[in-house]
Amino acid sequence: MKFKKMLGTTAMAAGLCFGASNVLADGHAWSLEKAAEPYAGTTVDVVFLLRPGYEAIEAMLPEFEEATGIKVNIIKHPYENALGEQVRDFVAGGDLDVALIDLVWIGNFAENDWIVPLDKFTSNPDLADPDLDMDDFFPLVLNAFGGWNGTIYGLPVDNYSGLLFYNSCMLEEAGFDGPPKTWDDLKNVYGPALTKDGKYAYALQSKRNETQSADSFARMLWPFGGSFLNDEFKSNLMSEESLAGLQFRQDLMQYMPDGIVAYDHAETVNAFSQGDVAMITEWSAFYSTVVSPETSKIADCVEIAPEPTGPAGRKPALGGFSMAVAAQADDAEQAAAYLFIQWATSKANAGEYLERGGVPARQSAYADPALADTYKFIPALVESWQDGVPEFRPRFAEWPEITEIVQEWGTKIMLEEVSIEEGVTELGARMEEVLEDAGYYSGDKPLAQ
Amino acid sequence: MPGKVPRKTIFAFIGPSVIALAAIGIVPLLYAAWTSLHFYNLTKLKRVKFIGLENYWDVLTDSVFWEAMGRTFTLLSIALPLQLALGLGIALILHKPGLTLLKTLARLSLVLPMATTYAVVGLLGQVMFNQKFGVVNQFLSPFGGGNINWIGDPTNAFTMIIFWDVWQWTPFVALVLLAGLTMVPDEIEEAARLETKSWWTVLRYVQLPFLMPGLVAVLILRTADTLKLFDMVFTLTRGGPGSSTELISLMIQRVGFRAFDQGLASAQAIILLIITIILSQIYIRVFYKEV
Amino acid sequence: MTSSRSIWIQSLLLLAILLVCVFPFYWMVTTSLKTQVVALESPPVWLFEPTLANYREALFDDGVLRTLMNSLIIAISTTALAILLGVPAAFALARFEFRGKKDLWFWFITNRMVSPIVLALPFFLIVRQLGMLDRHITLILIYLTFNLPIVIWICTDQFRGIPYDLDEAARIEGASQWIILRKICLPLAMPGVAVSGIFSFIFSWNELMFGLVLTRTTAKTAPAMAVSFMEGYNLPYGKIMATSTLIVIPVLIFALLASKQLVRGLTMGAVK
Repeated sequence: MKFKKMLGTTAMAAGLCFGASNVLADGHAWSLEKAAEPYAGTTVDVVFLLRPGYEAIEAMLPEFEEATGIKVNIIKHPYENALGEQVRDFVAGGDLDVALIDLVWIGNFAENDWIVPLDKFTSNPDLADPDLDMDDFFPLVLNAFGGWNGTIYGLPVDNYSGLLFYNSCMLEEAGFDGPPKTWDDLKNVYGPALTKDGKYAYALQSKRNETQSADSFARMLWPFGGSFLNDEFKSNLMSEESLAGLQFRQDLMQYMPDGIVAYDHAETVNAFSQGDVAMITEWSAFYSTVVSPETSKIADCVEIAPEPTGPAGRKPALGGFSMAVAAQADDAEQAAAYLFIQWATSKANAGEYLERGGVPARQSAYADPALADTYKFIPALVESWQDGVPEFRPRFAEWPEITEIVQEWGTKIMLEEVSIEEGVTELGARMEEVLEDAGYYSGDKPLAQ
Repeated sequence: MPGKVPRKTIFAFIGPSVIALAAIGIVPLLYAAWTSLHFYNLTKLKRVKFIGLENYWDVLTDSVFWEAMGRTFTLLSIALPLQLALGLGIALILHKPGLTLLKTLARLSLVLPMATTYAVVGLLGQVMFNQKFGVVNQFLSPFGGGNINWIGDPTNAFTMIIFWDVWQWTPFVALVLLAGLTMVPDEIEEAARLETKSWWTVLRYVQLPFLMPGLVAVLILRTADTLKLFDMVFTLTRGGPGSSTELISLMIQRVGFRAFDQGLASAQAIILLIITIILSQIYIRVFYKEV
Repeated sequence: MTSSRSIWIQSLLLLAILLVCVFPFYWMVTTSLKTQVVALESPPVWLFEPTLANYREALFDDGVLRTLMNSLIIAISTTALAILLGVPAAFALARFEFRGKKDLWFWFITNRMVSPIVLALPFFLIVRQLGMLDRHITLILIYLTFNLPIVIWICTDQFRGIPYDLDEAARIEGASQWIILRKICLPLAMPGVAVSGIFSFIFSWNELMFGLVLTRTTAKTAPAMAVSFMEGYNLPYGKIMATSTLIVIPVLIFALLASKQLVRGLTMGAVK
């Protein structure tokens, strides 16, 4: 690898600053093959979820392995287990070389030094693809999924925004020529008209797991101007706006199927695909499921819009995953892991990733307007990612504890085991206890979320 | 009686077991006791610190903990009588003379639920009790129960847990009691049957004494197993909807491995252990005069 | 004819018992043969074209086969170890007099009562520090916490049932306690040993929580694998049931073959 040593700082500067050019100073082009040469035979251990985006990468993987000689060892877990599995691996100094990070885990992973800041690799011209082009990622997505406290750790790989999926056939039949623009319309106009004969206007997945926190609780908080925390990091759930949002959710339940508290994504998407529910607010990643005739009876009726707006505007749910290099990996593994992450999220592969059912976070991938004909979710997705609330769910290290509290009391409220006021009082107190222990109130810890 | 045996021999026989069980049973408990006195969060290992009994105080004053405990005993107090009643009924049916082949088949089939992997019972429950494509609602639909939401309704979900617990463990009770019934000497039972036609009288005065030891064992084991119950509920409802089926083991697992608060979870586990030991002490010392 | 009526009632009840016990397994197996679309039919269908695709996928693509092997290795090893350690201890408890015997017996049995979650937490932390996560040996050892008490409980009962005069005679001839155990008592106690072995095996095979907490990939057990298909995004019921069938059928066949011993075992610890 003599030529690599010959590359001086000039090459580094050239490679990084002039991302568009992939010809280095001495005339040799950067290529994945060459970059990976020292790491051939290295195995990269990574956790994948059982979701479409990961299947897409898995299908594309042979190409990477062939080019690099790096072996990617995929360990599949359901989302529900993914955090626990990774935490247990990292605290035990296990074999994971890549961390798969849901945006709400990033504060935690970063604070524990389980992941390596990305610039360790992007500043290394041997590894960094001149075409990396960080600016091509939707800034909101990159910062929220991959960044913490001003440092970028991971590159967004499996990317979601909440979207309104609606069954245009059912809506037309009821006399609507478009989807509701506001949450109020959804409840007051569309709700009564579409809930009849065993069909329901809407379903909101609310199962007691991350779904309750992300898809149900937070989704109703933000559009009404509510939030989890105020500026002092005290509970903001007792605020008028937060209460209004939660009250709205409670009222909306009359237009949802019974037992919505047990609905996870699978049940919700299934109810929609079977034509039992007219509208759902779900992640973009479900597009392929609801438009495939194999899994959907109403594939031809599916239309997609951005989530409705509330008094505080459109605050669509934001979720998604980035991959970061694990600090516990040795140097070769780290380098190989970085090459894998860079390849999986690259501009060049974004098109194929999209085709295979993934949702890339590359702006360039959506530039072609014709794509919107094939992938109806694209306009709504791009719009949702223009601006959103990165702290839709706080991303600090305490989230795993707080989400448990939200899940517990959020479902209790929905089941009317406690009133909204009682529920959020309890929730707020328990949440503040965790934050107190963490040192936010004593000034030991900066108020970052 | 066997004579005195040298200490060395005793130790050679019993030592390995004691050491093994101490190493895997007691050392972890000591470690748990140590953890329970600390702020010990898996995702905050940089900030482990001694906090005395704070975790215990938090557990003892936490309504959620006691609700989970209450739920566990509610399950026991509903499921156990059902299991005893059904188990006794089955034992009596199997004890009646005649129909040898059918009885053998029934007895064999009773072995199946007990041997089934508990986690699989929960998975099976999800499939069979599904509101839309579950076979249970299909069976119930002629009786107007075709659209019951088993998994999504707190009471129904709890009922479902009871159902599966009863399904899996009634056979155990039945077989234990059947064994008790077969220990009644034939001549005594026949003599009693000549005197009275009431099966209840026979049961109460002739058979019951022979059933007592089995009943005690059932009581001990079912209590312990209910406090341990995790797998089936975890795969069936994960404690939901809300907290309606969150039994004590599920709650501790959640705190320890989902909220990662190992300190608090250890305190909960130690309190559960103390409750278990007290109950076993009472049961075993009072009812089970062995060795 | 009251007696013929009561025979009718009895056979109906017996049939009901049979059905209730067996039906869930019928449903498990048939669901495992359904494609996802058929499995989600509402109301459920009873007649359909069966497919083995779920099994193929589970066994070969998802690696259930390997987890079954893991479960087998672990269950057999821990059972063997439990018997090796437990039988002499049971013999001592049944035959020798020493101080604290009662307490020792009680302590052994109490281990059977302890909730696995109580041990899973500290065990995880210790095993993590020893770097022994995800190893077969870890599960083999921790399963002793419930297997050893079973073996000791059942075998103590069994040994106590063997008349003393037998070993008395041997002892007068100068046989050591080891010889007495091996040559005289053990052959007579074999049924009890077998029963406790069967129980240990079944309990170990079925165990979930330790498997979930202490393994990741290499030593992952089959029940832990079955649970890992439960993704909120999409529940592949056919595949879950196929995996369940693969886990349960071997142990059911085993239990049926050993049903006599199993029932005896239940009653050994219980009916006295």
